[in-house]
Amino acid sequence: MKPSITFDHVVKEFFLQEDRTFKELIPSLISGKSWAKSKQVLDDVSFSVTQGETVAIVGKNGAGKSTILKLIAGVTYPTSGTVSVVGKVAPLIELGSGFHHELSGYENIFLNAAILGMHKKQIELVLEDIIAFSELEEYLPVPLKKYSTGMQMRLAFSIAVHAPAEILLVDEVLAVGDVDFQQKCLNRLTEIKNTGEKIIIFVSHDEKSVTNFCERAMLLDAGRIVFDGTTNKAFSHYYSKQS
Amino acid sequence: MLSLLTPFRSHKYLLLQLTQKEIKARYKQSFVGYAWILLNPLALLAIYTFVFSLIFRFPTNDIPYSIFLFSALLPWIFLQTSISSATNSLVNHADLLKKVAFPREVIPYSIIIGKLMDFLFASVVFFALLLFNNIPLHPTAFLFIPIFLIQIILTTGISLFLAAANLLYRDIQYLTSLVLLLWFYATPVVYPLSLVPSQYVWVYKLNPMVGIVEAYRSVLFGYPLESSILIWAAIVSVIIFAGSFVFFKKIEKIFADIV
Repeated sequence: MKPSITFDHVVKEFFLQEDRTFKELIPSLISGKSWAKSKQVLDDVSFSVTQGETVAIVGKNGAGKSTILKLIAGVTYPTSGTVSVVGKVAPLIELGSGFHHELSGYENIFLNAAILGMHKKQIELVLEDIIAFSELEEYLPVPLKKYSTGMQMRLAFSIAVHAPAEILLVDEVLAVGDVDFQQKCLNRLTEIKNTGEKIIIFVSHDEKSVTNFCERAMLLDAGRIVFDGTTNKAFSHYYSKQS
Repeated sequence: MLSLLTPFRSHKYLLLQLTQKEIKARYKQSFVGYAWILLNPLALLAIYTFVFSLIFRFPTNDIPYSIFLFSALLPWIFLQTSISSATNSLVNHADLLKKVAFPREVIPYSIIIGKLMDFLFASVVFFALLLFNNIPLHPTAFLFIPIFLIQIILTTGISLFLAAANLLYRDIQYLTSLVLLLWFYATPVVYPLSLVPSQYVWVYKLNPMVGIVEAYRSVLFGYPLESSILIWAAIVSVIIFAGSFVFFKKIEKIFADIV
């Protein structure tokens, strides 16, 4: 089965949870406002991505980038429209989530890989690669809380890129870590990209890495796709909108 | 029925990893480490034995009070620690809920399995206590296991419901500890059922833990048991589990939106 992602007229509304506690219930009842307001974060979004594509999602904060990633990852569902995702998804998990700070780096590899849906045998198969890639071998017996943020990030990235998933979600994670490691990550992602077997969805504000890495970019503005095409054009669109 | 077993098949390894994390992480950076699994119930046992056998002196047939107490206190600790930790479990794993898809019940299940391990270790102390006091187990003692299964069903049901409800309203976690305290004294753990005033006893027996605790003592020490209260407990447990499971799976899809 070839991996693919298809969004068909996807609308996503969130509840704004300002009226969540009892303390706030009374005033909201008196003023007659509704108990929970909803906000539309994605408005009629349609696109599709096929095997081998590397797509960047660009846009301002709050434009709906993360929501698209969540819909692809299958942790949230559209209010209307359909999302269909074929293939296993490996989200590059943000710092900290999927790790436990009291456990050693070594134990965390297994925990994190299991969260990404891997089984014991699959992990053992790539364990050495993960450790080698992370360059953290001597720190593995140490509890994760002793790691710097950069080191944690390296471990997380190393695990995610070795997961046997067809769809990789890369969300701003490259911002941490030193230049050398960033380059290493990009190289690794390029390797994955060049196999032509996987889909990589890339969210970043860093224009340089986006243009270097992705041929296609989608520009989001206030929950709508305002441009979908080559990366260079997407950025010129982005800047023309701002000025 | 199929979806009931999914986490144990397709997500077996994740469940194992989360359970291990639960057990290992708890006593890291602690001097005596895993010994707390035994020290905790032993300390409670000492406190309650002091208060209720030296000061109040409850009648417990021929069984020493400490053993009478432990036979119900250990299963109670399992219920109480499972429910209170499971209630916070989804909130504590908020970042996972927002990033990775997997059957969400894996999280509370991992907590309950972790507490089950604690229970098994602490049971060793119970058997040591029996040997020390030279008390023979009744031949029906093995029936403890099916009764404990009923208790696991009840515990899991309540945990699933509270874990999901706590995502909606954090009040649940504060209420839970209060209700658990009330429930503890509404269950014949530290005192025998015979002390409950007879005009209230029918209301009292609506509590499913009454039937379960009474059944433990009955199979272990040959205490008399009205089988109707155990059947009642089993029915209530299954209904609570079924209702909670359906509720949990129903709102599971919006966990990432509300957390």
